[in-house]
Amino acid sequence: MKEDIVVRFVGSAGDGLVSLGLLFGKILKKHNMNVLGFRSYQSVIRGGYNSYQIRFSDKEVLSVGEDADIIVLLNKHVAELHNPLVNSGARVIYDNDNIDLEELEYPEDIIKLSLPSVSIAKEITNIKVIKNSVVFGAISFLLGLDIKLIKEVIVEQYGIKGEEVIKINYEALDKGISFAKEKMWTPIWVKGKYEKARQMIIGGNEALALGMLSAGLKFYSGYPMTPATSIVHFLTKYLPKLGMIVKQTEDELAAVGMAIGAAYCGVRSATSTSGGGFALMTELIGMAGIEEIPLVVINSQRAGPSTGMATKTEQSDLFQVYGASQGEFPKVIIAPKSIDEAFLTGIKALEIAEKYQVVVIVLMDLYLSEQIATVKKLDFKRTNKRYAILEKAPKDYLRYRITETGVTPRTLPGTKEGMFFTGSSERREEGTSIASTLAGLPSTLPIRENMMKKRMRKMDVLLKELPKPEVYGSKDADITIISWGSTSNIVKEAITILNNNGIKANQLHLMYINPFHSEEVLKILKKAKETLCVEQNFSGQMRDYIRMKTGFNIKNSLLRYDGEPIVPSQIVNKVKEVVQNE
Amino acid sequence: MSNEFNFSIKDYQSDFKPTWCPGCGNFAQWRAIRQALVELEIPPEEVVLVSGIGCSSHMPNFLNVYGLQTVHGRGIPVATGIRLANPELTVLVYGGDGDIYGIGGNHFLHSCRRNVDIITIVSNNFVYGLTTGQASATTPIGTVTRTTPRGSIENPINPIAVAIASGATFVARGFSGDMTQLTNIIKAAIDHRGFAFVDVFSPCITFNKKQTFAYFRDKVMKVEDFGHDKEDFHSAMDLANRRILRNKLPTGIFYQIENTTTYEERDFALNQGIIPAKTDLELSDEQINAITEEFY
Ligand code: SF4
Repeated sequence: MKEDIVVRFVGSAGDGLVSLGLLFGKILKKHNMNVLGFRSYQSVIRGGYNSYQIRFSDKEVLSVGEDADIIVLLNKHVAELHNPLVNSGARVIYDNDNIDLEELEYPEDIIKLSLPSVSIAKEITNIKVIKNSVVFGAISFLLGLDIKLIKEVIVEQYGIKGEEVIKINYEALDKGISFAKEKMWTPIWVKGKYEKARQMIIGGNEALALGMLSAGLKFYSGYPMTPATSIVHFLTKYLPKLGMIVKQTEDELAAVGMAIGAAYCGVRSATSTSGGGFALMTELIGMAGIEEIPLVVINSQRAGPSTGMATKTEQSDLFQVYGASQGEFPKVIIAPKSIDEAFLTGIKALEIAEKYQVVVIVLMDLYLSEQIATVKKLDFKRTNKRYAILEKAPKDYLRYRITETGVTPRTLPGTKEGMFFTGSSERREEGTSIASTLAGLPSTLPIRENMMKKRMRKMDVLLKELPKPEVYGSKDADITIISWGSTSNIVKEAITILNNNGIKANQLHLMYINPFHSEEVLKILKKAKETLCVEQNFSGQMRDYIRMKTGFNIKNSLLRYDGEPIVPSQIVNKVKEVVQNE
Repeated sequence: MSNEFNFSIKDYQSDFKPTWCPGCGNFAQWRAIRQALVELEIPPEEVVLVSGIGCSSHMPNFLNVYGLQTVHGRGIPVATGIRLANPELTVLVYGGDGDIYGIGGNHFLHSCRRNVDIITIVSNNFVYGLTTGQASATTPIGTVTRTTPRGSIENPINPIAVAIASGATFVARGFSGDMTQLTNIIKAAIDHRGFAFVDVFSPCITFNKKQTFAYFRDKVMKVEDFGHDKEDFHSAMDLANRRILRNKLPTGIFYQIENTTTYEERDFALNQGIIPAKTDLELSDEQINAITEEFY
C-alpha cells in the first residue's frame, strides 16, 4: 500500500488551476490528510503550460513529490507538451472528446483513463467549470475518498452562490463517481474510514502575513512583484476589518520609504518585494539602519539575475541581502523553511525589529511563498507588549544615547519635549549630524567610533536571544546535510529515504542567518563525518557564507538553478555518491 | 493642538546653527517655516519635517521639531508613511530642486495625484549647491554650470505646471526675498486639506550668479496684484506656462481647490478615525476569525 499520493493537474493559464488545486487541497484536508501543493507556471496570463501538483498522506508531507500517481490533462495543448513528463504506471485522466493519447504517443505503460468530463457536465448544466466536479468525482473514486466530506467542502466553498450551484456540483460529483465505477477503474488508495478534521490549508506568503498580523502589523506598503505580491493581495482583502494601512506605491523606493515613515511613528510596518525590487530598496534600508528605525523587508527570491525567470524559484539573493546598502549596520536575516516557520518568522521579524531598532530581512523563496500546505493550528500571539518606546520624554533625553545593549528607547512624534533630529549622516547622541562642518575634527572621531559600536553591538545582544542551531536526525550520521529556506524540508524527506536505505544522514537547517551562531555551527560541522550543502543557486552561497562565518569548508555541494525545486531523489543520489566515494 | 500655546519662533530652532553660506536663500525659509508654525499655533511636538539630501535638506538639523533627514530624493514617501501612520501630525517635506524634481521626481508626481495631506516646500535655486554647482532639473537652457560648461542643452521642467497637471490641490510659489508673502503661503499650505506644494525661488549666492536676489526682485509679481482666480484650473495653467505676464515671474497661490477628498478621507482605515500609531497591536477574536476563515 502506498504511503502517499501525488496528483498533478496540467493545464494552461486561464484553466483555473489555482482554484482547482486549492479546492482539491481542501477536500483532502477535510479527510485529515497532510497536504502540500505547488503550482509550476509561466509569466503569461492566458495559455502556456502550467501544472498544479498536490501530494498528500496521513504521514508528514515534506515535499511536493516527484512522480505523479494521477495526472489530469485539462486541454489538448498541454497534453502534447506534458508527454515527456509522464512516468510509467501513472494514471492519466483525459477527455477523449478532444485529446487522443495514441496520437500523442503517450507511453504504453501508463494507465489511460478517458473521462468525457465536458459532455458529462453538459448533461447537467451549461456552466463550463462544472466539468471539474466530474473530474473530482472520478478521482475521489480512485482515492476512495468520502463523498460526504467532499460535499461538505462544496457547501463551504460554494454555499454562498446558492442551492442551485450546490445541487449541480453534487450531481457532477456523483456522475464522475458512477462513470469511474462503470468503467471499472481500480482504486489505488483505500483508507477505509476517514476522520474529519479541522485544520488549515494555507500558502507560505499568507502564513507569513498572518504571522505579522498576529504581531501587530498595522502598515504595509509594496509594489507588485512576483512572487511577493500575494501578501499585499491577502492584506488588502481584510484591511477595513484590520484597521490597518496597505499602500500600493509608485515604486519600491516609495514602498520601503513609507514603511520607514510609519515605523518612525511607532507603527509596526513591513514591505515586500522580490530581488529586483529589493535592489531598488537598498539605499533606504541603509538609512533605516543608521537611523535605527525598525523595518521589516521581505524578499521572496525568484530566479535571477535581473528579470531572470520571474515565475521560477531560486535561493540566490543571500549575498544581495547580506551586503545590501553601503557601509555597515546591523541587519537581521531570517529564512523560514515551511508554512509554520513562515508564520513564526512574521512574528519574530516585527518583534526583533522593534526591540532592537534594526532592519530585519525575511528571505522567502518562490517555492515557499507559493506552496500551500496543511497546518493544524497557528498560535496567534495575544499581546500589546511594546519594546523600547518612551511614553514620556525623560529630562535629559538623548535619542541616540550610547547604551550597553546598543538600544536606546525612543520617543515617537507627538510626544511632548521628545523632539529630536535624525538623519542619514553620522551623528552625536542627540541626533544632529557630525558629517558636515564637524567631520574629521579630533573631537568627532570617538563619536563616530562609539556610534558604530553602539549600533553593531545590538547584533551581539540579539544573537544571545536566538535559538541555537540543532541537528535533526541521528547523532552518529555518516553525513550532515546543510540547507536553508524551503530546501530544508525536502532535505528532511531525503534523510528518511536514506535512513531506509541504510545510510545514516542528519541535517542542519539554518533559519536565523544573521546574526549567525558561528561557534555552534562550527562545532556541529567539525563533528560531521562528511558534509553536503544543498541549495538552489549556482555558486553555493550558503556554503561560502558558512566558510566566511566559521572558516569551515563544506566539502560537497548540491546545487540546482534551473528554476524547479530540488527533489528528494536528487539529494539521495548525491549523498550516495558522496558516501561511496569516501 | 494644545489649549495654551506659548511657543515663540525661537522654540522651533535647535541649538545647531545653520551651516548655509551667509546670504543663502534657505535662511528666509528657515524663518518663514517657524513663523508659520507659531502663527498657526502648532506646537513643535506635533510637527515632523522630513528632508532629503542637498544644502536645503540640512534644514531639520536646525529646527526643534521632529526632524528626519532621509537619503537623496526620498523625503516624500517617508513623509507620506508618517502622515498615514499618524494623521494628527503636521508633516512637511523640505528639499531642493535636485532632490524633489530630479532624483525624487517620481514621488513628486505621485504625491500630487495622491492628495495625502503633507506640505512639500522646494527650495528652488536652479542648481546643485552641495555638490558645488552642477545643472539641475530647473536649470534654464543655455546656462553654464560645472557639468554644462558650454551651456545646458536640456529644457528645464516647469514644476508648477507639472504639479497642477498631476492633480495637486494646492500649488504655490514663494520667493526668499519676501518673508511676509512666503510665511503667508506656508501658512495657507499647512491649512490646506490635502497635498500642498510650494516652490520657492531661493537664490544660491555661491553657485548661481544669474538667478540672484536682485534678478528676482526685478521680476516677481504677486498673483493677488492682478486678480488671479486660483480656483480656475485653466487660468492657473496659463499662469504656470507663462501664457500671460510673459516677462514677469508670478508668486503666490497659483491653484487651490478644497472641494475634493484627501487620501486620508478615502482610506478605509483612516476614514473610520483609526490612527495606526495609536492602535492596539492585539487582534480581537473577531479579527482573527475573519482573516483565517478562508483557510479552513
Ligand atoms: S551653496 Fe548655495 S544653496 Fe548651498 S548653502 Fe551655499 S548659497 Fe545656499
